[in-house]
Amino acid sequence: MTSKTDSNPIPAPVSPLRRVLPPVIAAALVVALGFGLFRSSNGQVGGPLVGKPAPAFTLQTLNGGTLSLASLKGRPVVLNFWASWCVPCRDEAPVLRDLSEKQAANGLAVVGVVFSDKNIKAVNAFVQEYALAYPSLLDPKLNTSIAYGVSGVPETFFIDKAGIVRGYDQGGLTRERLTAGLSKIGVVY
Amino acid sequence: MGAAYGLWLMACRHGLSSSVFSGLLGLFHRPRATSRTLLVALLLLSPASLAQTLSQPSPNPSGGISAGGAPVQALSPAQEARAQAIGRTIRCPVCQGLPITESPTDLSQSMLRELREQVGAGQDADQITTYFAARYGDTVLLDPPRRGANLLLWLGPLAAALLGGGWLLSSVRSRGKLAPAQLIENQADELDDVPDEYLAQVKAEVKDSERSRASLPTQPQPAHGRTP
Repeated sequence: MTSKTDSNPIPAPVSPLRRVLPPVIAAALVVALGFGLFRSSNGQVGGPLVGKPAPAFTLQTLNGGTLSLASLKGRPVVLNFWASWCVPCRDEAPVLRDLSEKQAANGLAVVGVVFSDKNIKAVNAFVQEYALAYPSLLDPKLNTSIAYGVSGVPETFFIDKAGIVRGYDQGGLTRERLTAGLSKIGVVY
Repeated sequence: MGAAYGLWLMACRHGLSSSVFSGLLGLFHRPRATSRTLLVALLLLSPASLAQTLSQPSPNPSGGISAGGAPVQALSPAQEARAQAIGRTIRCPVCQGLPITESPTDLSQSMLRELREQVGAGQDADQITTYFAARYGDTVLLDPPRRGANLLLWLGPLAAALLGGGWLLSSVRSRGKLAPAQLIENQADELDDVPDEYLAQVKAEVKDSERSRASLPTQPQPAHGRTP
């Protein structure tokens, strides 16, 4: 009470590191989460299969024939997983139809695979509505979809002439995204 | 601390990792549409990103039927138990933290059928989880592999607990090193924070009461016993 009565005690000096560290950690966490959240917002992401050989498949076409990936070897392939109940698939269908019509002469193969859609009537109606001339394959057991790691539609794989997956897109192709994917398999569009 | 870490690991195993931490893991792995949706929903940072989520098939309410109605391969009871155990570590890609063994979606049922076929073909757990992770990314695993960037997920809480524990211990020890006299002095310092005016008032009143007591005339003490 005598010598201790100091109305303005001098606070102990806080080291600059202790002052700066908490906000730096918080900022780093926010940046990390933000980066993880927005890095794939344009749909062009590196899927696990990119750089690996495309899984082989032999599936039935809508008109009763069969088509295998092996039969397309030597040609660049755009493999599109779609369903009649999928709204973004409807948006990208005209883009893929245009691609198949314009690039068929250059050897590009566009192939559709119907994903988790048991309504064959609706699938056929979809093909007719968008006048899809390229083959659409049925994958009733989802074997091929699982082999490609498809969890939702649309998803598109760009496979080069050597049968290696070079590009991947999810969430509906636009012309720009299609062009970007095609450039990875050496197709100018 | 041990219990908290145990809870953390349990949460990791039961799907929390695929939701809360997929953002962090997204730095190193391809974020799947579902995990991105969960992260967005959790952080409420960008509702617009939800619109970009892929269309996904609705769950099949009947459940338990393999896609395409294909007969499910018969496994021995031991193989079936092994398939179920492995299946519990594979996340349904279109669900929120559900293993494929508990999801009724066509995709999960097909994945389970594929898994059972691989078990029937003699593949071990590592080969099967590697097969699915190679196609869907590590986010399909409910039990994240303890390697690479995932070590952050497994060791982060442990490191935080150790650092926090060390800090706590050192601060407790530094307090314990103070001599008792010093502690009393510190407490006296705290008492000094009481505003002086109140203390002065109390002291003044005590002094007044002592003075008034001293100034009172001394009363003759009554004699014991009866008055005559």
